[in-house]
Amino acid sequence: MIAAALSLSVRVAIVATILVTIAGTLTGRVLARRAFRGREVVETLLTLPLVLPPTVTGYALLVVLGRSGLGLPIPFTWLACVVAAAVMSFPLMHRAARVAFEELDPRHTLTAASLGASRLRSFFSIELPLARRGLAAGIALAFARGLGEFGATLLLAGNIPGRTQTLPLAVYEASLTGENRAALVLCLLLTGVSIAVLLLVARLGRSR
Amino acid sequence: MSVLAAEIRGTGAVALEVSMRAEPGITVVFGPSGAGKSTLLKTILGAIRPTSGRVALGERVLFDSERGIDVPIRRRRIGVVFQDAEPFPHLDARANVAFGVRSGDRAQRADSWLSRVGGSALAAKRGSVLSGGERQRIALARALAAEPEVLLLDEPLSGLELASREQVGALLLTLRRESRIPFVLVTHDPREALRLGDRLVYLERGRVVAEGTPAELLAPGGAAAHAAGSTNWLRAVVLESGGDEARVDLGGTVVVTAPLSAPPGTVVDLALPAEEPILARGEVSGVSARNSLPGIVSSLTERDGIVSVIVATPVPLRVHVTPESARDLELAPRVKVIVLVKATAFRP
Repeated sequence: MIAAALSLSVRVAIVATILVTIAGTLTGRVLARRAFRGREVVETLLTLPLVLPPTVTGYALLVVLGRSGLGLPIPFTWLACVVAAAVMSFPLMHRAARVAFEELDPRHTLTAASLGASRLRSFFSIELPLARRGLAAGIALAFARGLGEFGATLLLAGNIPGRTQTLPLAVYEASLTGENRAALVLCLLLTGVSIAVLLLVARLGRSR
Repeated sequence: MSVLAAEIRGTGAVALEVSMRAEPGITVVFGPSGAGKSTLLKTILGAIRPTSGRVALGERVLFDSERGIDVPIRRRRIGVVFQDAEPFPHLDARANVAFGVRSGDRAQRADSWLSRVGGSALAAKRGSVLSGGERQRIALARALAAEPEVLLLDEPLSGLELASREQVGALLLTLRRESRIPFVLVTHDPREALRLGDRLVYLERGRVVAEGTPAELLAPGGAAAHAAGSTNWLRAVVLESGGDEARVDLGGTVVVTAPLSAPPGTVVDLALPAEEPILARGEVSGVSARNSLPGIVSSLTERDGIVSVIVATPVPLRVHVTPESARDLELAPRVKVIVLVKATAFRP
């Protein structure tokens, strides 16, 4: 049970982190540098999963993606775990990226433009490298959040051992069925990963 | 040969209403802080959009509100060096300079520019580890390597220590001589304006108040003099510099100064604080002051308990005296006076 849950969790967290990294970097960059009407409304919507109860987010996803909504064959598959983890960890990446881009000296981008660089070139060869520490911190946080996702996953993906049972769900089941040793091992595993991620984030922040 | 012509009206932090031209050589935009100097520069660059106006480089129109033209920054071919200009910190100096090279062997072009700014030894150093003066050298090379048609410099020397300010200033003069494009340099430092400027545009509260040579505008009584503070900024030609004293011509008035390192025939900038000279109504003998300059008072203004007297010697010199001295000497316009100045009061 532990091995299956661990391998699923890692796979889910990696795929979700890749999706979230791309999406969060783009939204963070846009909201950091573009002034447009309704910017704060968009910001609020993007960070909503951070404050909503995860079960609410999970239920909303189920309604939107499931038979009553788009009818996608996602709910109760491993992809559902990915979607749940991605939606829940997205705000962390988005905020980290927004702060990282806001902190860039705008004179660097002005200079790059004056040297004839296109927006794309300026983004990839100046902005991304300069924002890399903040982005890396966001990626680490998003990964940890995705790995530990529980509430939304439970509603959207269910708790099917070997198919959609991630580590946190395995902890839940182990504790319910009185398998205390298994629960303890899983808890230690998740705690260890989380501590490692937080230390990494702190280091990225310090050596700025 | 490109000429920058800008007519700009804008309502930003500083409301601009400026019309200016810059020909090859260094055009200094001078003025007190808050005059809109940097806003003007950013508007020419294209980072700030003016409410209306026109910016052109030679035949090429970069901005025209009437015709709806607004060329993006990357196609304007305007080089820019900011104050404390940081090279891209994650790239080494060579990659910084190569960033804007448009054609040919980029690394080779970059190296040749690095050597022109005396930065060959820095080629492999990251932008983040360079000193202030080194940063400005790299920033200058980076801007010029992209073959701009005008170079904008925003207080390029302000953040530097005295020694590197001298060196980077000298480098700017060298680059100007070798280049055929206009340099537009923003500064609030009159010494920098005098030393580097071929032309001076004097800006106050977003408007051009005067244009001319730095020497004439910064001279006591000149249009920009009050922004230059109480110091007489003098441009002088060295006549004799060997021995215990030097003699220089201020442009019609020859004075004795402390020894100068510059050889005869060269131009030096001297600062004479207005508090230094002494005024007398007649010839005085037995004083240590080496300069005794007859002149005529051209104006008196009293402010904050100090009377600022401008004396035509014929080169105008500003002298500060107390209201009591002004009364005792019966100073008034057209009164003849002698200006006594110690040789050491002229500071290079």
